[in-house]
Amino acid sequence: MYKKVTQEIIEKLEKVVGQKNLTHDREKMEDYSHDEFSLKDIAKFPELVVKPEKTEEVAEILRLANTEMVPVTPRGGATGLTGGCVPLYGGIVLSLENMNRILEVDLDNQMAVVEAGVTLSEFYQAVEEAGLFFPPHPGEESAMIGGLIATNAGGARAVKYGVIRNYIRGLEVVLPTGSVIHLGGKLMKSSTGYNLLNLIIGSEGTLGVVTQATIQLMPSPRVMRSLIIPYDELEKAIETVPLLIRKRILPLAVEFVPKDVIQITEEFLKKRWPCTQGSTYLLIILDASSEDEIDRLSEEVAETCMEKGALDVYVADSPKKQEEVLDIRSKIYEAIKSHTLEVLDISIPRAEIARHVKKVQEVSQKYKIWLPTFGHAADGNVHTHIMSARFEGGKIVSLPEEEWKTKFEKVREELYKDCRNRRGVISGEHGIGIVKKSYLSYVLDEETIELMKGIKRHFDPQNILNPGKIFD
Amino acid sequence: MNICVFVKRVPDTEAKIRIDHETNSISEEGINFILSPYDEVAVEEALRLREANGGTVTVVSVGNEEALTTLKKCLAMGADEAVLVKDETPETYDGLRTAKILARAVEKRFPDYSLLLFGKQSVGADNAQIPAMVADLLNLPQVNVVTKLEIDGNKGIAHREIEGALEKVSFSLPAVVSAQKGLNEPRYETLKGIMAAKKKEIPIVTFEDLGLKEEEVTPLLEITKLESPPQRQAGKIIEDEPEEAAKQMVKFLHEEAKII
Ligand SMILES: Cc1cc2nc3c(=O)[nH]c(=O)nc-3n(C[C@H](O)[C@H](O)[C@H](O)COP(=O)(O)OP(=O)(O)OC[C@H]3O[C@@H](n4cnc5c(N)ncnc54)[C@H](O)[C@@H]3O)c2cc1C
Repeated sequence: MYKKVTQEIIEKLEKVVGQKNLTHDREKMEDYSHDEFSLKDIAKFPELVVKPEKTEEVAEILRLANTEMVPVTPRGGATGLTGGCVPLYGGIVLSLENMNRILEVDLDNQMAVVEAGVTLSEFYQAVEEAGLFFPPHPGEESAMIGGLIATNAGGARAVKYGVIRNYIRGLEVVLPTGSVIHLGGKLMKSSTGYNLLNLIIGSEGTLGVVTQATIQLMPSPRVMRSLIIPYDELEKAIETVPLLIRKRILPLAVEFVPKDVIQITEEFLKKRWPCTQGSTYLLIILDASSEDEIDRLSEEVAETCMEKGALDVYVADSPKKQEEVLDIRSKIYEAIKSHTLEVLDISIPRAEIARHVKKVQEVSQKYKIWLPTFGHAADGNVHTHIMSARFEGGKIVSLPEEEWKTKFEKVREELYKDCRNRRGVISGEHGIGIVKKSYLSYVLDEETIELMKGIKRHFDPQNILNPGKIFD
Repeated sequence: MNICVFVKRVPDTEAKIRIDHETNSISEEGINFILSPYDEVAVEEALRLREANGGTVTVVSVGNEEALTTLKKCLAMGADEAVLVKDETPETYDGLRTAKILARAVEKRFPDYSLLLFGKQSVGADNAQIPAMVADLLNLPQVNVVTKLEIDGNKGIAHREIEGALEKVSFSLPAVVSAQKGLNEPRYETLKGIMAAKKKEIPIVTFEDLGLKEEEVTPLLEITKLESPPQRQAGKIIEDEPEEAAKQMVKFLHEEAKII
C-alpha cells in the first residue's frame, strides 16, 4: 500500500531541505536503520534520510509524504530501547538532529524553549549555565528532547520529581497532514479544552512530529548526597523502600542493583564501586536545601536501612564521587549489552516490587537463564534484562541460539503475566515501539486499544507517520 | 606510630574557575570546595598505616574557618583528631610561608610524631613546595611523589615511579612523605563516620599560640596578575569525499596550522 521513494520525490525534498541535509547512500543510512534495542533483527533500512532545519521544512516533508503515500519515521537520538525510530516499512527517516537550537531560557517564567533535536546533555548544560535545574534524569544523555517527549521518558529521579510529562508546558507539533499546531505555552495552568499536549507526550511519533517544546525548570537543590547501602539479601534491600515511604522520606532516587552486574561494570569501566560487602546494593540519592537537612535525612535513611539489615551506609558527597557511582550505575547496560536480548520496562505498584522480583528469580532458576534485574526501586519501574546467557561463578556463559530463542519467549510471557496480575503495565518509560506491541493486550482493555487506534486514524488517516508502532 | 597529615581545601577539580581581577584571586562564588585529591590519598595512607600498626592520625590544615569542613571530612574518613591553624590571610601562593607555619605547628603541638604525610601538591596552586620545605625546616629525611609505602619499625621503604624505572628509597623515621595518586584508592566515608565526626571538636590554633610573629607570616610573594588560559578554538570539520577531504586536510595542515 505504501509507495516507494522515487527520484522525483528525492528531487522535491532536496529543494526543501537542501542537498546536504538529505542522504540515500546505503552506507550512510546504516546508522538510521536501528536504535539501541539490542537484537539487530528488527533493524530496517530507510530509503531516504532527511534532516530538516526548520519547522516549515518538516511540514513540507510530511505534506509531500502524505500526498505520495510514503511512510515517515521521526528520529531523535536513536537511544530508544523498543525500535521506535526504526523505519519498519522503509520510506523516509526524518531526523531532528539539525533542529538543535536552545531558543530561550526564560528566567522570569523559569522555562526553556528548545527545538526537538537538542540533546539531553546540551539541555542540562544550558539549564545549569542559567543557574536552574531540570530534574528528570533518563540514563542516556544523547537522547533528544523530541524523543524524550515522544516516549515520555522517566529515569531514576522520577520518585521525587516525576517524569518528562510533568515538565512539558508547551509543544509545537507538525501533524501528518503537514499542518502545524501549538499546544499549551508558558503556562502553569490550563483548563481550556481537551489536553492534546498530554496526548502527544508519549505518543511515540505516531500522531505528530514534535519540533519545539516549552519546558518547566526549577531552582537547583543546594546539596545532593548519594548513599550506597550494601545488603546480603535482595529482599531486604527492596523491602526497605516501602518503609522509607511510610516514614515520609522522599529521596531524589532509589535504585537497587545486584552485585553481579556491578562487578561486571567495574571490570568494564575499570572503575571501583565504593564497597565490596553484600550481594545487593541500594543507591539512594538525596537532595536538600542545607547541609544540616541532608545530614538529618541521611541519618533517617541510614537508620531505616540498618533496621532492615543493611550492612553499612557509604556516602558519596563530592560531585566527583557521586558522578563515579552514578557512572557505574548508568553504564551497566553498556557493560552487559552484548548479551542482552531485551530490557523489560515493567511498571507495577511500588509496594509489589519485592514480590515481582522474587518471581523474576524463580523464572531465572526455572529456565536456567540470567535475568539481571535492577531499576528504580521506589517508583515501581523494574528493568529485568533478558540475557542470552547464564551467570556462573562470576562469569557470563553464553547460551546457544536455539536455547535462548525458546526461553526468551517463555520468560517474557511469564513476566508479563506476573505484571498483569499485579495490575502493572508493560512499559513504564521506554514505550511500546515495535518490540512490545504484541503484549499490549496483556495490560490494556480491548476497548482502550480500539479508542487509541481511532485517535491514530483521526490524526493520520493515511497511516503514514511511524506506522507499525505501539499497535498494528 | 603517630602520623600527621597536612591537608588543604581546594576548588573542586570540576568547578568552572572564574577570576576576580580586583583581588587577583579566584572567585569563590558558586564553586564547590573539596579536600585536595592528593591529600585525600595521604589521609587514606595514614589510616591504613594506623590500621596495620596502631597509633593515631592527626590531620592539620592552615586556613580560615571554611577549612573546618575539609577537616570534618578527614575525621569522617577515620582520622582520630583534626586541628585548624587559623589563617585569615587570603590565598598567598607563598609556599615557604605555609611551610614555616606547619613546621612550627609540628614542633609546638605534635612533638611525638613518626611520619608527616602530605599530598604531593595541592590542586589549584600546584606549587609542590611544601613537603620539601617542611622536611628541610625540621631537618627530616623526605621522599616525595610516592606510589607505594611500607613501614617496618623505625624504617620505611617508599616506591617512586621515575622515568622508565621504579625507584625504591629506604629511609628512617621520623620522615616526610608526599603521596602520588595510585598510592591507594581513598575510601568512601560511611554515615557512621560522618556522624561521629560531627560530634568531635576541632581545636583552632592561632599564630599567637604557635609563637609566630607577624614578620614570620608576612607573605613574601605577590601575585601581580592572574589570568585564564586562552580559550581553545573549536575544531575544524572537513566534510567531503575521502579523497577530496584528505587533500583539504593536507592543505590545512600545511598552510594554516603550519605543522607540515
Ligand atoms: C543506556 C541507556 C539508558 C537509558 N535510560 C533511560 C532511562 O533512565 N529512562 C528512560 O525513560 N529511558 C531510558 N533510555 C531509553 C531512551 O534513552 C529513551 O527512550 C529516550 O527518550 C529516547 O530518546 P531519543 O531521542 O533517543 O529517541 P529515538 O530513539 O530516536 O526515538 C524514540 C521514539 O520517539 C520518536 N521521536 C523521536 N523524536 C521525535 C520527535 N521530534 N517527534 C515525534 N516523535 C519523535 C521516534 O519515532 C520513536 O518512536 C535509555 C537508553 C539507553 C541506551
